[in-house]
Amino acid sequence: MDCLVCHDTTGTYKKAPPGAGMPAKDVDLKFVAQNVGHSSRASCGSCHFNGGGGDAIKHADLSRQLLTPDRNCDVHMGGYDFSCAECHKTRNHKIAGRSSSVPASEGAVSCRDCHSDTPHYCGSLLDHHLNKHCKTIDCNTCHSPVYAKCKPTKTWWDWSKAGDKKRKPKKDKYGQPDYHWKKGEFKWKESPKPTYAWYDGYMERVLMGQKVDIHAPVINLTDPVGSIKDPSSKITPFKIMKGVQAVDAENDYFLIPHLFPRNKEDKTAYWKNLDWEKAFTDGMQAVNLDYSGTFKWVETWMYWRLEHEVMPANMALSCVQCHESLKEEKTCNRCHQDNRDVDFKAIAQKGTDFSFMMSKGRDVSHLKDTTDYIDFKALGYEGDPIIHGGRFKKLPMGYGDKMPRE
Amino acid sequence: MIRKIMVWAGVVMLGACLCSAEVWKAPDQEKAKERAKELVPFVDAVKDDCKVLRRVCLLDKGIDIKDVETTYFHLESPIIKAREDHYGPVRFAHKRHAALIGDCTACHHYRPKDESMSETTRCSACHQEAFKADNPQRLGLKAAFHQQCMACHKQEAKGPVNCTGCHLKNVPDHKELVKLPDDADPFQVTAECRRCHDAQAEDMLTTAHWLWKGPSPFTVKHRKDIQHGKGTTALNNY
Repeated sequence: MDCLVCHDTTGTYKKAPPGAGMPAKDVDLKFVAQNVGHSSRASCGSCHFNGGGGDAIKHADLSRQLLTPDRNCDVHMGGYDFSCAECHKTRNHKIAGRSSSVPASEGAVSCRDCHSDTPHYCGSLLDHHLNKHCKTIDCNTCHSPVYAKCKPTKTWWDWSKAGDKKRKPKKDKYGQPDYHWKKGEFKWKESPKPTYAWYDGYMERVLMGQKVDIHAPVINLTDPVGSIKDPSSKITPFKIMKGVQAVDAENDYFLIPHLFPRNKEDKTAYWKNLDWEKAFTDGMQAVNLDYSGTFKWVETWMYWRLEHEVMPANMALSCVQCHESLKEEKTCNRCHQDNRDVDFKAIAQKGTDFSFMMSKGRDVSHLKDTTDYIDFKALGYEGDPIIHGGRFKKLPMGYGDKMPRE
Repeated sequence: MIRKIMVWAGVVMLGACLCSAEVWKAPDQEKAKERAKELVPFVDAVKDDCKVLRRVCLLDKGIDIKDVETTYFHLESPIIKAREDHYGPVRFAHKRHAALIGDCTACHHYRPKDESMSETTRCSACHQEAFKADNPQRLGLKAAFHQQCMACHKQEAKGPVNCTGCHLKNVPDHKELVKLPDDADPFQVTAECRRCHDAQAEDMLTTAHWLWKGPSPFTVKHRKDIQHGKGTTALNNY
């Protein structure tokens, strides 16, 4: 058991290659042990920022940027210096958190634990409406309007293209490589808009050895459960990690390749021998599953819930960024007659300023001046709920001649 | 002599390095920490008005949440630290509490007798060192914080009431506590940690971070399973 990897405060502790197992030989273990303390973003991040084999690869919203984050990247960690465990409360070394990527969980963490079900608390007309939105929309939908905004994350990983040692990796506009002979072809994205889906906190998940429809155009390894008709489901942002990987063409389940060579004599590891057949035979043997001997490449998607990278409140999405109808002449005054103390137009339009984010070097020019941000129709609405009604309430309120006719 | 000069040169260079390296700071937290360090003059005399009247008086004056200047406090004070320092500071969402309670007098229960001072003066203006010789009946800052927070949390059955609900426990300096040879190997380190923290080590052995599997209450069709995880059945595409 390695106490130091989580309780190091010196920043000098590291594991021997490949970054797992025993500590590196040159670490002064006595020095680290004499300076132990609480876990930190650095200690948690030493594993979790590197998920997928490197910084920012699999987690959309976790990267080494969070060691010293900009306030605009993550207001909790960058503005208020939160450590991971302040939210991911720990009891008897069991750490709360509801991972979407892996099944194991030792408790849930929610924004609501601190911010309550009515987080907009100043009592204004706008707060009233925002709090009503909380019954339908997850906090991150408005408050983390783009992900991987401080560091590009990998969004496409095609294992089928691996093995070409001659292919020269090209750098994309973020300076990230599009290829590695060990791993295949990649795509990266910085500050993309999330994919939105109804989510009630539960995931459908494909597990090892589980039969899947290998002829489906896409197989979802993780898939959020939820419905527009379910009051406990909320519109929730996700990064979808897309890729191509292998299934057993006869057994109809996913194949586990043996990648990292065990030693110099290793004859089956893909990263040494570049032979998928051998890698699958060995890998499946290791997990006690039959390998038929024929494999097939399939496209897979993994939904990754976005929870971090919460922006400062004034950078949340504005009403008009989703509700196209508020771009028109009538805004709040469709229903509210009294505008003595409020500038309706200003309320409906204040919010995320993508031009500000652009000025900070973020790749968001395509999002400027857009509306219908979360795509109401894709979520099952007829259109903008202001015009067509919400998911439960169909009360026609001051629609005037915009009201849909039967 | 040359050696001495070299040592000094080294010290100067190290100093220069430390100064020039830009130290990252979280701006909101930093501001709150600076505020927490402030010591303000002691308010000896308070206006002893009835709390019911005081509440109405503030409402009549129109003092409410819009007047809250500081959203966030870092509850810590040199006054408290001077006496003991076992627990870390507390994050306090001031404006959120103000909005939730809707009554400034719930905490700002008295005002300074001096009318020129603020209606809602800070806690540490009236509550400072405990058992002050000339004001022994006045609660000290630590007691004031604890009585105010915990009593309200209990009454409202909302919010933490135990120590670690609000505070992180300070980790004692382990320099003297940890006894290891200079060339300690990883197994000696773990054994040394377990010399005092054996129960914690036993806990660790039951966790997902050790077992790489655990309960999967949020995975449909597997909600009662306990064997899934990266070490067993989890799949991914990266």
